[in-house]
Amino acid sequence: MKGIFSVLVENKDGVLSSIAGLFARRGFNIDSLAVGETDDRTISSMTIVSTGDQRTIDQIEKQLNKKVDVIKVRRLSETKSISLEMMLVKVACTAATRSAVIDLCQITGAKIMKVSPKFLLLEYHDEPEGVEDFIDLIKGYGILDIQRTGTISMSKS
Amino acid sequence: MTGAEAMVKCLEAEGITRVFGYPGVAIAPFYEGLYHSRIEHILVRQEQNAGHAASGYARLSRKPAVCCVTSGPGATNLITALATAYADSIPIVAISGQVSSRLLGRDVFQEADMRGATESFVKYSYLVRDPDEIPQIFKEAFYIASTGRKGPVLIDVPIDVQERKLSRPFQYPETAAIRGYKPEIKVNMQQIQKVVDALNEAEKPLICAGGGVILGDGEEHIRRFCEKFNIPLVSTMMGIGVLPKKHPLYFGMLGNNGKPYANKAVARSDLLVIVGARLADRAIPKPENLARRVGVIHIDIDTAEIGKNMGPTIPLVGDVKDIFRILTEQEIDAAGQAWIDELEEIKHSTVDHRVFSDKLVNPNLLVQRLSEKMDDNAVYAADVGQNQLWSADNYVMKNGRFLTTGGMGTMGYSIPAAMGAKLFAPDVQAVAVCGDGSFQMSMNELATIRVNNIPVKVLVMRNRYLGLVREYQYNTYDAHYEGVQLYDWPRYEKIAEAYDMPFFSCARNEDLEETLDAFLACPDACLMVCDVDSEDRVK
Repeated sequence: MKGIFSVLVENKDGVLSSIAGLFARRGFNIDSLAVGETDDRTISSMTIVSTGDQRTIDQIEKQLNKKVDVIKVRRLSETKSISLEMMLVKVACTAATRSAVIDLCQITGAKIMKVSPKFLLLEYHDEPEGVEDFIDLIKGYGILDIQRTGTISMSKS
Repeated sequence: MTGAEAMVKCLEAEGITRVFGYPGVAIAPFYEGLYHSRIEHILVRQEQNAGHAASGYARLSRKPAVCCVTSGPGATNLITALATAYADSIPIVAISGQVSSRLLGRDVFQEADMRGATESFVKYSYLVRDPDEIPQIFKEAFYIASTGRKGPVLIDVPIDVQERKLSRPFQYPETAAIRGYKPEIKVNMQQIQKVVDALNEAEKPLICAGGGVILGDGEEHIRRFCEKFNIPLVSTMMGIGVLPKKHPLYFGMLGNNGKPYANKAVARSDLLVIVGARLADRAIPKPENLARRVGVIHIDIDTAEIGKNMGPTIPLVGDVKDIFRILTEQEIDAAGQAWIDELEEIKHSTVDHRVFSDKLVNPNLLVQRLSEKMDDNAVYAADVGQNQLWSADNYVMKNGRFLTTGGMGTMGYSIPAAMGAKLFAPDVQAVAVCGDGSFQMSMNELATIRVNNIPVKVLVMRNRYLGLVREYQYNTYDAHYEGVQLYDWPRYEKIAEAYDMPFFSCARNEDLEETLDAFLACPDACLMVCDVDSEDRVK
């Protein structure tokens, strides 16, 4: 099963490595990790996506709660939260294929950030599955470079 | 006031009168502060033992104890002791010197990334960047070490932070408010009711007490509960001492190396109440089998411990004292005498099939006679190896303390731990029992014992082998003994002589009584060697 954790932590040095270390040491997966400051600069927000059986997901929540620098842990349900991921990607294209890629962008809502003779630099954001689908769509043209932010999530309520 | 002076002030404010340590340049300003204070510094002979001594001290005082080391190798030497304390939830505040904050990360002389290196071995750690942070950090460190599930906390202090002056007058905070750390847990009364219902339904309830009961000062509360409702108790190795050995409701230590009748009690119980125990592999090798057969109540201060190794039917989080005080006040039907009689029957019908050499000293007899002869409130520090398992198996608990490292199993623990315990409680008899392997891991501390006149008694079971590994090789690798022989050295009488210690030795069961009497009567620190047959096994 999938576990989505929204974690508020002290915005201090060493906290990220301590959280990452916890996952590594106990053999928990990190599928995706996104970190950023909140409106309170002393607090950072992390979205961690992990997979495992029920026991593992429960343990992750408990072990996160044990960390002194962790202020709050919220487990988000996939259906009752919004998850988004952003991506920058350079898609190879020639004069012959460019218009096909531009068509895809129009259909999917991807934004063209830069045009060059050899590639288009696109920005795309969507639910994590949507990002995967978009990658499948453009893969055939050749991906020169790709950067993904990792998932960020927030409960709907 | 300098940072170093502030560090000393903080220790004084915490009521610390003694620290264990080993200096170096990176911690020298702090030592200058100690020089001008009334805090006594005990110089150990290797940093790891500063941690173990602090552990022994903390286990007796039931408060955090302090050790201090220098940067680089001094600090890395301490890590094993921190890991040991962490595995056994012992409250320690460790102070390490660090290279100047301007040089951090440049791999200069004696720099080691201590926060990174100890990440998984401490409850929390600090790298102090500014001397003004010192009072708050020390307050927090002692608070974190001593509350909730206890454990070691590291404070790494760069030398320039120790030397720099505070920009404001020193003030030790009254409270440590940490927004991510709330150790006080209010007992959930709905869960209490579920426990009461389960106890009322059970015909064969059994308590399994771990080290957490002792760490939470819960021995008295649990004893009263057991006695009021006639509920029997078994313990883990770290839980030895929750009930005296002769208590009619105590049925021994469970686990791989425990009493067969304790394991049978677990197997036959219909409701198992686990208290302050993680139930690791040595205690219950296959917890999933157990969970299917019996209802399980798991009581612990650490939420994450519950369900880690075994899914409980009823989890209950909180302080052991609170929980058992509340439970003792509830209306619970006392367990029937039939269950106790059944356990008595199992206990008396268990036959020990082990055979011990009669040429040398029988280790079981040794531990039994030694612990029977020791004072009622004595401290028995058991090391690691066959000696630990023989000790745990045969130790006659009265009202003393059994100190050992159950979680990490760190060889060399017993001598420094007994030393720390004896320093806290000078009137209490303290005996360290080790093997000839574990003795040699911390025999250098005989100097600390001698110099500081700490009358610790050290008893070595000598079989000229790393016996437990040898036993494993016997059982698993067809007796292919590789890398386990210790031969005839050191000459123990010469070791004793080198440290000006009285020496006792015993090689026959017939001489045991007399030698033990003389050993225990000796007012000074002393060394005794008992020759044990290398063929004698734990199982």
